[in-house]
Amino acid sequence: MDELLDPSGAPRPLANAVMELIARLGEGELRERQELAELDIRTMGITFTVYSDGQNIDRSWPFDIIPRVIEGAEWDRISLGLQQRLVALNRFIDDLYNDQRIIADGVFPGDLLDASVNYRPQLRGTSPKYGVWAHISGSDLVRDDDGQMYVLEDNLRVPSGVSYVIENRGVAKRAFAELFARQRIRPVDGYTDELNRLLTSLAPDGCDDPQIAVLTPGIFNSAYFEHSFLAERMGAELVEGADLVVDDDDCVYMKTIEGLERVDVIYRRIDDLFLDPEVFREDSMLGVPGLIRAWRAGKVALANAPGAGVADDKVVYAWVPDIIRYYLDEEPIVPNVPTYRTMYEDERRHVIENIGDLVVKPANESGGYGILIGNRATKDELDDAIRAIEADPRNWVAQPILSLSTVPTLVDEGVEPRHVDLRPFILTGEHSYVTPGGLTRVALPKDSLIVNSSQGGGSKDTWIVDGSYGSTYDPSPPDTPHRPGEPTQTQWQDES
Amino acid sequence: MVLLARTADRLYWGARYVERAEDTARIIRAFNELVVDYPSDELLRWEPLVAIHGSVTEIDLEDDDPAGELTVLRLLIADRENPSSITSSVTAARANLRTTREVLPREAWQAVNQLAQYVDTTAPAAVERQLRDRFLLRVVEVSRRLDGVLESTMTRANPYRMLRLGRLVERADMTTRVLGVAAASILYVERTATGERINEEVRWMSVLRSVSALQMYQRRVRGPIDPISAVRFLLEYSAFPRSVQGCFDEIRSVLVQLPSPQSVLAALDEAEATLRAVDLDGAEPVRLDRAMDRVQTAIAAVDEAINDRYVGSLL
Repeated sequence: MDELLDPSGAPRPLANAVMELIARLGEGELRERQELAELDIRTMGITFTVYSDGQNIDRSWPFDIIPRVIEGAEWDRISLGLQQRLVALNRFIDDLYNDQRIIADGVFPGDLLDASVNYRPQLRGTSPKYGVWAHISGSDLVRDDDGQMYVLEDNLRVPSGVSYVIENRGVAKRAFAELFARQRIRPVDGYTDELNRLLTSLAPDGCDDPQIAVLTPGIFNSAYFEHSFLAERMGAELVEGADLVVDDDDCVYMKTIEGLERVDVIYRRIDDLFLDPEVFREDSMLGVPGLIRAWRAGKVALANAPGAGVADDKVVYAWVPDIIRYYLDEEPIVPNVPTYRTMYEDERRHVIENIGDLVVKPANESGGYGILIGNRATKDELDDAIRAIEADPRNWVAQPILSLSTVPTLVDEGVEPRHVDLRPFILTGEHSYVTPGGLTRVALPKDSLIVNSSQGGGSKDTWIVDGSYGSTYDPSPPDTPHRPGEPTQTQWQDES
Repeated sequence: MVLLARTADRLYWGARYVERAEDTARIIRAFNELVVDYPSDELLRWEPLVAIHGSVTEIDLEDDDPAGELTVLRLLIADRENPSSITSSVTAARANLRTTREVLPREAWQAVNQLAQYVDTTAPAAVERQLRDRFLLRVVEVSRRLDGVLESTMTRANPYRMLRLGRLVERADMTTRVLGVAAASILYVERTATGERINEEVRWMSVLRSVSALQMYQRRVRGPIDPISAVRFLLEYSAFPRSVQGCFDEIRSVLVQLPSPQSVLAALDEAEATLRAVDLDGAEPVRLDRAMDRVQTAIAAVDEAINDRYVGSLL
């Protein structure tokens, strides 16, 4: 299904204004605006870095000017669901590093934890402020043909992309100034303030005006632009491992021209294993010796906390609905892609009976087995898969075959539907915050489902629109209620 | 305001490279103008320009380029192997300032980023006469714009001061190099040209023009241009901001606002003493050239003191 067009090809109500403007401009002027947007991106130096042919290349950020539009009421619900999800996942992480109640209660199998590559047993017994480990996260959402948004995966370690959400908006505002004047599109600029507030709240007790630093692996990292952007927007220092030192007092200092200055909060964008050669990889040149010691002593806050990645394992994903029920006693608001765990007998039976309509995946990341797509497999392959599942039911999960929704996109052939996903960013601390919308990534080749920017994916601005959907020619005053006869919710919404 | 030692280093060098690109562009423009002015029967050779960057590289002249114009300009404008070419300088400026975006006003970064893109695509073609002046002018203008942005929008704190230091150290150094080039090129005239007196005056006009000093010189020293007063003007006349003494004065005023600058101030005192000791003796070219070498060495000592005090000791 398409996000902006109904099955007959007519604009959905929420996309009226955008599609009318595009029709009025015609392809020629649309392309001119696209080129101007690309020029803006080059001038502003909005880049990402790819590693190719042995060198790091700084490339302009790929952007398609046709926005993806989501209705405000639908977004509010998704936003609540994401907050719920992250609160539960954080309770889960804190539990795993402390009492492990969820394992004792038989809800989460303990042997899965032992096999997890992202669990850091060295950190047991630590409890960060507010019990929160994954402060900044990005969950990838996809919409299936049934119109339902599903969480496809959670990124709880060092998720990137939020700088492009903000920069895309800047570019889109110039490209479609007339639409921003007439529609109520929720601003995205507030993110860095919210992040700043969150990081400030994490400061060690008694520190009112904390020194915040963004820790980057350096200029060759693919997300360096973002690290620099966030530091700039927050007025934080952008530091590399070599700029920091942990002294005998277990405090973290940065090397300034006036000597050593204390650092209170670090938003680290370096993977766990490179953070501190004293605890993790000894050969890490990116990290800071003693950093974990300082963190455990409560002398510095780390966001995200090391070890938070344990909850974005592929295996854990299948348990997230149970995790939400267990800790919050609530039903999940935004569903997981249904994931059948063949270790449980009833789920196994369902998988075996419906294997032709499912994707079968190895549950253990280090398993090295391939993924089987039911409707593309031969009878023999299906039989083999069933035998493998029966032989080792703990090693497999299965999901229905999803089809990603599309958004009209300006490509060489004209304006055509292309598949998209969506990565909103969620802040979790004493309070929660979700970006209005997020990063819409688009697979540019026809029928492709690969949205990664390093593999030819593009991006779009994501508009959360409120109120009635006025057209370009007939704008309604901002506060009028919905007109009679116009749907207040898009047709795919609210299955539950 | 906190300033990381590493960031200090990158600001300083970012600013030095921008200034180097600007000054190189100014020098080439002035020389270019001289070439246009020169009587056509005299072949004006471009080789002395190579001395700007202190390199005594042997230039292989091609048959179709006997004056060395294209060979020299390729080296100074577009050659990526030459670390001081305009292309290399602008690329290095961008690379340094890209890692300081959090302390730099956005507009300032955008000016440098745009210049880098322009230079990247245009430099090879700018070696030819047709596009040359427009290209060089753009380099100068963006550099001026950058200073305007910093002047009008950047908080006066240590990051700003490191940028100023980079600018001023490079500028002082480049002015001595212009004089070195002047000496080299006048030497050449003495060996081959007739009608020496007229040409020498034209050459000194070009020297002054290459640091945008001609007009200011003429207002200060009425009457015809004479070599001694021109050299004195560029070295000692501190009211002119591109004179070596003018740069030194400003370096001093920036340093006293930085934390514990004693060691750098000591190096600056040395450099001023070296400058005062320059004995012009009729602006005899060989002497002038040697004197400029000494001043350059003293400026290098200031650079080293800055590095030792604000960067090296902490990394």
